[in-house]
Amino acid sequence: MELYILGGLVVALAIGLVIQQIRIERTNRKLAELATKPKPVVVSEPTALELENKLKAAYEAKIGEATQAFATDLTSTSAKLSELVSRLTTDVIEKELDAYHKTLDGVRATANEAMEKIRAAVDEQRVELRKGMEADVAAEQNRLIERFDTKMGDVVSSYIAESLGGGVDLGAQMQYVISSLEAHKEEIKKDLYNGV
Amino acid sequence: MASETPQSAFVLPPAVYSPELLDSVSYEIEQYLSWYRENRIHTTVGATAITEPDHSTETAQVIQSWTTGQPLTLSSLQSLLKYLRELKLPVAHVTLAALPNHTQRQQLVDWFRGIAGPHVLISFVGDRNLGGGVLVRTPSRVFDYSWKQKLIEGRSKLAEVVHRV
Repeated sequence: MELYILGGLVVALAIGLVIQQIRIERTNRKLAELATKPKPVVVSEPTALELENKLKAAYEAKIGEATQAFATDLTSTSAKLSELVSRLTTDVIEKELDAYHKTLDGVRATANEAMEKIRAAVDEQRVELRKGMEADVAAEQNRLIERFDTKMGDVVSSYIAESLGGGVDLGAQMQYVISSLEAHKEEIKKDLYNGV
Repeated sequence: MASETPQSAFVLPPAVYSPELLDSVSYEIEQYLSWYRENRIHTTVGATAITEPDHSTETAQVIQSWTTGQPLTLSSLQSLLKYLRELKLPVAHVTLAALPNHTQRQQLVDWFRGIAGPHVLISFVGDRNLGGGVLVRTPSRVFDYSWKQKLIEGRSKLAEVVHRV
């Protein structure tokens, strides 16, 4: 019994589905026909003119609004941009100048330090050089004086000998010679006795 | 023949004052001895006698001082020669600005022998670079009283003088 009822319900459902399918196909067919054959809209000339005038006015109004908004926005943006560029430029320049000043100060300090070191080294070198030169000059001076003194006896005696030539008068010297020997008689005598 | 003269009594004559003169005297005595021997042989064999060699005054004085008035013999001459050869006398080398003449030499010889006795020889040298004065070199010392040395010793004064000039 239950099977008959269930079978009856299934058959009823199947029939319902077939009917619905058929209706959908009819509707689709109508829609396709409507699409292929559009139905022309008929507007009167005054209406068309009115519509065109309205559209034109609305379009111009929108254009005006858009232009005004754009101008306002552009002015504002330009001012902001100018301000931003100015601030950026000022900041960059200040930063660069600051960095430049710092670098310049560093370079100046380094240069001053180097100059001080060079000056100190030069001064030290000058002092050393001066000391060395003074010592050299003094040594050379002493050497020349010593040499001069040593040679002067030879020079003068040679000059005397050359001036006198071969005519040395020993007779005039004999008194000096004998007195010189007499002054050292004991030493000479002692040494000669030692040789005997 | 006379006996040999005692060496202690022998005194070099003042004329023989230098090593060169002493060598010259020794040489002449040697020559004389040689002549004497040869001449004696010649006389013995009857050959012609050889001419007696000349000798200087100094040699004659030395021989005279050696023989002290005794006759000259061969042995005394040989002794004299031997004595002179072996004689070691102190020498004073005297350098002057020029070679001294005879009088000046004699004056200096007298002075040296006056202080050190007769057995001292004096050699004279002339060196004009001394300028003047005397330089004496004894066996172990040099006594420089030359003008050159005076100049060297007074170099500071010399330098002052030169500086002033």
